[in-house]
Amino acid sequence: MSTPADSAEATGEQDSAATAADPAAPVGPPPAPATPPEPPEDKEPAGSSIAFTLTLVVLVALALFGRRIFSGLFTDDGVRTWATMFVGVTVQAMPFLVLGVLLSAALTAFVPASFFAKALPKHPALAVPVASASGVILPGCECASVPVSAALMNRGVTPAAAIAFLLSAPAINPVVLASTAVAFPGQPKVVVARLICSLAVSMVLGWLWLLTGKGSSWLKMPKNRHADGTAKLEVFRSSMLHDFLHAGGFLVVGAAAAATLNVVVPREWLDHVASNLLLSVLVLGVLAVLLAICSEADAFVAASLTQFSLTARLAFMVVGPVVDVKLIALQTGTFGPKFAVRFAPATFVVAILFSLLVGWWLL
Amino acid sequence: MRRNVAGLVVVFVGAAVLQLAISDTYLRYVKPNMRWMLLAAGAILIVLAVADVLADTRKKPGEHHADDGHGHGHLLPRAAWMLVIPIFALLVVDPPALGADAAQRQSPVAAKPVAPKGNSFLAESSGSSAPVPLAVRDYAVWAVWEKESMKGRNFQLTGFVTPGKNGTWYVSRIGLTCCVADGTAFMVEARGQTAPPKNQWVTVTGEWAEPTKRADGDVAALTVTGVQNVTPPANQYE
Repeated sequence: MSTPADSAEATGEQDSAATAADPAAPVGPPPAPATPPEPPEDKEPAGSSIAFTLTLVVLVALALFGRRIFSGLFTDDGVRTWATMFVGVTVQAMPFLVLGVLLSAALTAFVPASFFAKALPKHPALAVPVASASGVILPGCECASVPVSAALMNRGVTPAAAIAFLLSAPAINPVVLASTAVAFPGQPKVVVARLICSLAVSMVLGWLWLLTGKGSSWLKMPKNRHADGTAKLEVFRSSMLHDFLHAGGFLVVGAAAAATLNVVVPREWLDHVASNLLLSVLVLGVLAVLLAICSEADAFVAASLTQFSLTARLAFMVVGPVVDVKLIALQTGTFGPKFAVRFAPATFVVAILFSLLVGWWLL
Repeated sequence: MRRNVAGLVVVFVGAAVLQLAISDTYLRYVKPNMRWMLLAAGAILIVLAVADVLADTRKKPGEHHADDGHGHGHLLPRAAWMLVIPIFALLVVDPPALGADAAQRQSPVAAKPVAPKGNSFLAESSGSSAPVPLAVRDYAVWAVWEKESMKGRNFQLTGFVTPGKNGTWYVSRIGLTCCVADGTAFMVEARGQTAPPKNQWVTVTGEWAEPTKRADGDVAALTVTGVQNVTPPANQYE
C-alpha cells in the first residue's frame, strides 16, 4: 500500500498548481518565470494523448480478450471467493460513494461558507453536539460521510464539528436505525442504546479533537478549491471528479483488505470467546473493524451472532460505522496518514468504552 | 493522473457498474433492490466524466496562458489508478456468486432465530405426503428449532453441493442481508446418497431427519430419496 506516497503526491500536486500563478507576481528576473512554463505546455498535449491512448488500448483489450489471455490463472476456489468479496464490497459501496461525492461537491460549490457560520454555534465546544445531532440527515453509510465531512471542513466548519458529523452520520441516520429495529424485533432498547452510544462517541471524539488536536499539523486540511470568480458549475464538476477519484481509489484498497480478512478469518473461532464479557466485547469490536460491513447491514449480522451478549453485539454496531479497514483507507486518503494513525485507535477505544458503559446501563 | 485519462477511467468504472446492473450479473454481488442505485451511480459517473472532458477541451484554447491555478490542474490523484483493479477483476476473473468454497469457511450450524418466522402453514397440509418445497434457509432453521412440525414430513430443497468431512455433503444456499461481505451459509446435511460434485446445483427430496449434534450446535439434516441436477437460478442467494 503506497498510502503516504500517494497523499504526499496529492498535496504536492495541489501546491504546485497553486504556486504556478505566483512566480509572475514578484519582481524576479523576467526570463526565469517566462521560460520554465513553456516546455511543459508544449509537451503536455503529446504526453497527455499518449497516456490517454495507452490507457484506452489496455482497457479495451482487457474487455475484449482479458478472459482468454488470463484463462487458467485465476481458477483456485479461494482466489475466486476473494474476488467475489472484493468486487462485491466495491459494487455495494459505489452508489453510496457517488452520493457522498455528489453531496460534498454540491456543498463546496453551491452552499456559501456563511451558511455554516450561521447554522452552527460560534463556540466550537457547542458546535460539536449540534453537528453530531445533524448526522441524522445524511441517509447513507460510512463511505458517503467521509467526503461530506471533508467538504464541511473545506467550507470553514471547525474540524471538531466535522469530525463529530463524520462519526455520527453513518450510525444514527433513519435507514440504519430502522434496519436495527428490524434486526432486533421486540427489543427497542437495542435501537436506543445504539443511538445514545453512537452520539456519545461522536461528541467525545469531537471534544477530544478540541483538547488535543487543535493547531497541530497532522490533520491534512482538505484544500479549498472554491476560488472566487470561477463558475459554480465548474467548481462542482472538478471537485466531484477529484473527490471521486481520490476516495474511490482508497475505497478499492479498503475493499481488498475487507475481502482478505473475510476469507482468512474463520468465523468458527468466535464461538470460543463468547462467554467472557470483556473479551467478547473486544473481539466483536475487532471483528467490526476487520469485516467492514456497511452500517446499513451490520445490525443483521450482529443479530445473527446469537452466542454473544447484547453488550458485545452493541459494540459491534457502534464500532463498525466509525472504524473499519475500508474507512481507515478512506480517511488516510482524505485527511492524511498522520491523522488516520491517531484517529482510528482513539475512536476504537472510545467506542468500546461507551459500548460497555451503555450496555451495562441499558441492556 | 492526467485529466483526460482520469475521465477515461471514470467512464470505464461507470460503464462497468451500468453493465452489471443491466445484465443480471449484479445479483452475484449485491441484493436485487440495489439495481436502480447502481444504474443511477453508473449514469452519473459517465455524465460527469463526459461533461468534464468536453468542458476541458472547449476552454483550452482560450485559457491556455491564463491558468488561474485554482487547483484543478491537469493532474489528478494517483490513487485513482486503483479503480482499474476491480474492473480488471470483473473482466478477467469474472467472479462467480459465492458457493461451496465460501460455505466451507463457515459452520453448518443454524443459529437460533431472533424473530422466528412462523411455519404454521405446514400444519394445514399435514394430511398429504407430497414433498413441500422450502427455502434452504427456512429448512435449516426449522429442522433444528421447530422439530415437532417437521417430523415425518417430506420436503424439497434446491441449493448447491458443499462437500463436508468423511463423505458427508450439504445442500446449501448463501443468505445476504446487504452484500456478499455479510453472506451467511445455510446448510442441510443430505443423508443416504453419494455426494454429487462440489458446487453442482441440485434439487433434493426427502424426509426430515434428526439433526446432527456438533460441539457448536445442531445441524439440520434430510434423509434424501431423490437427487436431480438443475441449472442455477438467476439469483443464487436467499
